[in-house]
Amino acid sequence: MNELIAKLLEAVEFGKIDQKSPYPPQLRGMDGSHELTQQAIEAGIDPQEILEKALIPAMGNVGKKFSENKIFVPQMLMSAKAMGASMVQLKPYFASGAIKSKGTFIIGTVKGDLHDIGKNLVSMMVEGGGWTIVDLGVDVGSDRFIEALKNNPGAVVGLSALLTTTMVNMGEIVSGIKAHVPDTKVLIGGAPVNADFCKSIGADFYAPDPQKAVEYLNKLAS
Amino acid sequence: MKKHTILLHPLGKELVVNDMTPLIDVLHEFGVEFPCGGKGTCGKCQVRLIDGKIDVNEDHRRKLEHFHLPDDRRLACMSYCTSSITLQVDQYEHIILADETDFDFSPECGVGIAVDLGTTTLVTQLVDLTTGKVLAVETMLNPQVKFGADLISRIQAGLDGHSTEMTLLIRKSIGRMIRLMLKSCQQLPGKVVLVGNTVMHRIFSGSDLTPLSCYPFQVEDPGLSLFTPAEIGWDFLSGTDIRFYPSIGSFVGSDILAGIAATGLHRKEQYTALIDLGTNGEIVVGNRDRIICASTAAGPAFEGTNLSMGMRAVTGAISSIRLVDNKMLSSVIGNAEPKGICGSALIDAIAILLQQDLIGIFGEINSGEESIPIDGPIRLTQKDIYEFILAKAAIAAGLTILSKKLSIEISDIQEIYIAGGFGNYIRIEHLLATGMVETTEDKIHKMGNTALIGAKMFLFGNGELAKEILDKTSHINLEGFPEFQDIYISKMILK
Repeated sequence: MNELIAKLLEAVEFGKIDQKSPYPPQLRGMDGSHELTQQAIEAGIDPQEILEKALIPAMGNVGKKFSENKIFVPQMLMSAKAMGASMVQLKPYFASGAIKSKGTFIIGTVKGDLHDIGKNLVSMMVEGGGWTIVDLGVDVGSDRFIEALKNNPGAVVGLSALLTTTMVNMGEIVSGIKAHVPDTKVLIGGAPVNADFCKSIGADFYAPDPQKAVEYLNKLAS
Repeated sequence: MKKHTILLHPLGKELVVNDMTPLIDVLHEFGVEFPCGGKGTCGKCQVRLIDGKIDVNEDHRRKLEHFHLPDDRRLACMSYCTSSITLQVDQYEHIILADETDFDFSPECGVGIAVDLGTTTLVTQLVDLTTGKVLAVETMLNPQVKFGADLISRIQAGLDGHSTEMTLLIRKSIGRMIRLMLKSCQQLPGKVVLVGNTVMHRIFSGSDLTPLSCYPFQVEDPGLSLFTPAEIGWDFLSGTDIRFYPSIGSFVGSDILAGIAATGLHRKEQYTALIDLGTNGEIVVGNRDRIICASTAAGPAFEGTNLSMGMRAVTGAISSIRLVDNKMLSSVIGNAEPKGICGSALIDAIAILLQQDLIGIFGEINSGEESIPIDGPIRLTQKDIYEFILAKAAIAAGLTILSKKLSIEISDIQEIYIAGGFGNYIRIEHLLATGMVETTEDKIHKMGNTALIGAKMFLFGNGELAKEILDKTSHINLEGFPEFQDIYISKMILK
């Protein structure tokens, strides 16, 4: 593997944003994802390869470690920030079509619920999986999901809720989406949600953690 | 209908129940707790079947296997009484803060009753209003715990059609406690003052819980509620003035209003804070000019609910841990065999593990193993440590954001009062070592049950004190603060 790609993968996996960032201690003083992405582009590496050989595997490793309780929210956030520092430089290549996105993922926390950290983590991980994100924020009802689907045909939808009293709103949103935009795949997640509940409201997939959401989406895209 | 007898060890109590009575219905009165609300997901309500038979269905059997329980154990929440049985119930002793702290007052005639209506525990005190002396105390578990440990479970139960049952249950329980206290008292109380969070207030009053079930989590009228004894079925009283004090905003209720009164922070020139280390983790910061408060949703980790071996500060709980010759030495409430770990010892454990370099700043177990032994069979898992980190970060972020709202630094807060169910067991140096409260040791004061102290203060006068505090106090929603996520996540680092 190209040395720059290997370094970038490591920088993103361990959350090294740029050269002056003190975190993580073992990479202190080294180039971060910001510099490494710049160097990779200057060296003429195909942006698609930067995404596929560095960012996606790095975030995949992060997702797996989170799934196994090996790392926690702050480390995942640092990795997501490192990914962001790289992604920002890849944006023009997405726009020009030089990099192909795997698809669009619309995500939001459901009506009545304001918790957005879990939703944000999922959205960062999915972006790191090579998807385009449309984040609708918190307290989102079915009408806004449907509107977003009309603007992004074929997108997959993710619903998040953190309270037993708000997860019930997922049912209404799922039926609203399925009625207006049939064939849309909807995945759900959040602390009180489980596979049985997912089935009972007619959603397509329950993701117990961000990584499982990414794996499900990748299966849809393949 | 067929009747069966249930013998409870070691209480020596005998109950006669109908056929097919769910154990959850009869045991909660005897202090068996159902933290998950009877869903069979927490395993905390296990009982030992000494004699007789309790049938186990497929679901129940799977849960017993999941918790690796011996053959003679049952989960009370999934059991029905179909024959006469003898049970050993472990969770039968509670230690509840029943405060006797002195406070300032102007003497009045007669006696009054102060009630701290907590989500988990109920405490009532009979107070001589001429001397301020406490004449009698009663404590018990909130019987609503059978509907779940946290407020959202209670709200859910209300929405599921149990609101009237919860209302009647709480009125009856407190009524019984009051009757017990009055047994050896020659006079009837002129006043009863109740304090509690907004959900407890609504349930006691029989008000709709729907507004608290979703955003914006506000009730229209969180004000003072007045009752006559007849209205709430307390016919043993007459002419008594019964008041449930007003909430501050959202979930933050009159227990915090009373807590502010107890600390006197509304009359101090210097900035002062009150932190209630409970499920809602309420934080108050202010001085005589302005007071703001928030609930932090610290979650039930401090009450032990989400921990693999967590429990409340009751008999058998490890309440504190010290490091002696590089070994962890724990104290257990009631000098019993350790059965679990409560909030204060959890804080000790994290501080010591950090100091010993057994866990890193992200809480990761350095050995790479799944859990760390604490004492005998008691262990902390990686997930337990993350649960603690979430609770710790919620408190630390709350204190940071409230300070920012007042345009001050946390270091400008001169006194920080710590209240809560296990407050008395907390070792301040360990609390500081986890980074939960970013201050210095000399500024921290442990204050016990501030809600009860405040409720007693409200017995004197005619509501002026509460009004004075309410006029200066406002509630803020932490999640609405623009930098909430960054602050919260940055506080997840242990330092």
